[in-house]
Amino acid sequence: MERLTEFVSALAGFATLAALFHVTWATLLGIFVGSLPGLTATMGVALLTTLTYTLDRDTAILVLICMYVGAIYGGSRTAILLNIPGTPASAATALDGYPLAQRGEAAYAMALATAGSALGTVVGIVLLVLLAPPLGEAALKFGSFEFFWLAVFGIVISGQLTGGAAPIKGYIAGILGLMVAMVGSDGIHAHVRFNFGLSELNGGIGLIPAMVGAFGFAEVLTVMWRRRPDIADLRRGADRVLPRLADLWRYRWTIGRSGVIGTMVGIIPGVGEDIGAWASYAAARRLSPERDQFGYGSKEGLTAAETGNSAVVPGALIPALTLAVPGSAPAAVLIAALFIHGIRPGPMIMLEQPDFIYSVAAMLFLATIAIAVYGLALARVFVQVLKVPREYLMPVVFALCVIGPFALTQRLFDVWVMVGFGVAGFVLRQMNFPMPPLVLGIILGDLLDKNLRRGLTLSDGDLTPFFTRPISAVFVALILLTILASLPAVRRALGRLLPAGRRADR
Amino acid sequence: MQLESARADRVAAIVLFAIGMASLYGGWAMDRLEVRRIHPASIPGLVPMILGLLLAVCAALLWLSARRERPAAEGGAGMESWRDAGVALGLCLVYALVLVGNLSFFWATAIFVASFVAVFGGEGGPGGKALLLRLAAASGFGLASSGLIAVLFRYAFLVRLP
Repeated sequence: MERLTEFVSALAGFATLAALFHVTWATLLGIFVGSLPGLTATMGVALLTTLTYTLDRDTAILVLICMYVGAIYGGSRTAILLNIPGTPASAATALDGYPLAQRGEAAYAMALATAGSALGTVVGIVLLVLLAPPLGEAALKFGSFEFFWLAVFGIVISGQLTGGAAPIKGYIAGILGLMVAMVGSDGIHAHVRFNFGLSELNGGIGLIPAMVGAFGFAEVLTVMWRRRPDIADLRRGADRVLPRLADLWRYRWTIGRSGVIGTMVGIIPGVGEDIGAWASYAAARRLSPERDQFGYGSKEGLTAAETGNSAVVPGALIPALTLAVPGSAPAAVLIAALFIHGIRPGPMIMLEQPDFIYSVAAMLFLATIAIAVYGLALARVFVQVLKVPREYLMPVVFALCVIGPFALTQRLFDVWVMVGFGVAGFVLRQMNFPMPPLVLGIILGDLLDKNLRRGLTLSDGDLTPFFTRPISAVFVALILLTILASLPAVRRALGRLLPAGRRADR
Repeated sequence: MQLESARADRVAAIVLFAIGMASLYGGWAMDRLEVRRIHPASIPGLVPMILGLLLAVCAALLWLSARRERPAAEGGAGMESWRDAGVALGLCLVYALVLVGNLSFFWATAIFVASFVAVFGGEGGPGGKALLLRLAAASGFGLASSGLIAVLFRYAFLVRLP
């Protein structure tokens, strides 16, 4: 009850015209970004972060969260209409959304996606309000040993789940991210490492230039690489744009379950919306009486995927706020934005700014209302967005990629960093190396480095406490299980046990 | 070479192995700050050494798994895709590394956007009039978008443009 009061009070704090104006434009921009193939939620949040330097703290975070929620939702448009996910989060949506569109039910598919996204986010918000405070308080018990293992666990689980059929590539991406974080002044003795004689590297590689490069410039190149997609043949006006309440009631268990699965996937460090959608989709298919229709235009499958990916957003913010460990790539950028705006995420947030968690929940709620209104009112308008030619959009996006990182530090060096990460990100993506572990590595590198060396100093070089302290032991067990699960023999055995879950590997 | 192939993975494995070994050596050779009497377990090179070793091991595993894959899995990337991505990369590099910093941001961006649109928007007829129209549209869009971005950052976000 106390948490509900805190949430309502935070919501009331945003009941101003200015706040509603920011929700309106930022969510619309987010849906626009998510709708366009090649513009991802991470890119949107990273680019928008560079535009929020001059805004006050709450407005800046509100705008970024609206962009995040809007972009994840917006990805469903392209998945349904083009069979190309606007963002990777909508890959599962395309499986049933596109067949529905081909049957002339595109608008209804978008309506179901809207309802699923909104309800999924609401489930996630409820869990955020319920779980974040106790998790934050539990994190206060973490010492150097536990934080070290938390960072290792984040990289391992993220590499395992996003690496798909080749977890080794996920692990490599995570290690590369950690290596990037080793550049610059170390967190304990302030000794400068790997600066290659460049004084600009003494402070390390900036997260925002790296993210804008890896997700912005790399996306520009990827979009230019792809062939032009064809929009599904729509029989416009033939179907309804509002979801039937009977359908939503019929899928109530699917929505609830997908919301919980999505949120839980969000809590796992560096995993993200796409895995949330696939996990929800696989669970729905396993338990659905109409499982044979999945993949051929199942409304339940579409609802599960969209509920699952949207519920990841609040879920990903739970560890981001309480542990400073992002649950997804956009949440990693949000952490950087929080630091820029003077908020220190991590266990101390429960002591320093305990009401901020409720403010974030209120921001998510406002963004949810906005996507519901836009999704249902502008279903047909968004189809036009897909017709923006790539040759007009991509140079503008790249110009923003250049000026955005420059705006933060006024250094051309950051533009070069962005370019370097863009080219590397493009090559790695083409080779099927996942990006989330790389980003997580950059974020967690400092945490891992400092806590390993601090822990060893505390124990006088003895490794025993890393394995014998209760929370550390749990992390070690989880890490070992995760690595074991990535071994081909174990994966084959698991695949035989869980045949319906195989699709989640895609 | 197709980047999504076993051969590309083997090349990547070699490069990653070299990076891993370089990090291992860099961590080993790094100043141990004995003069500051720090605890030997907290030397700055410790984690780079561990990461280098792990990367080298993972690279070896990647090489082994790529070796087991059949060559039939390799396919050719479309020349059109390579060409488009290569030209886009070239334009972006010239803009970010050469034009920005040497020209005013407005002109650098206008030239870049106009060139990009002119190069990739070429699906009109081959005639001279069509070409002129395309160049005019590209120039107009380049100037307008550059002006908008420059004004937005200069006056709304108070950024001193490069």
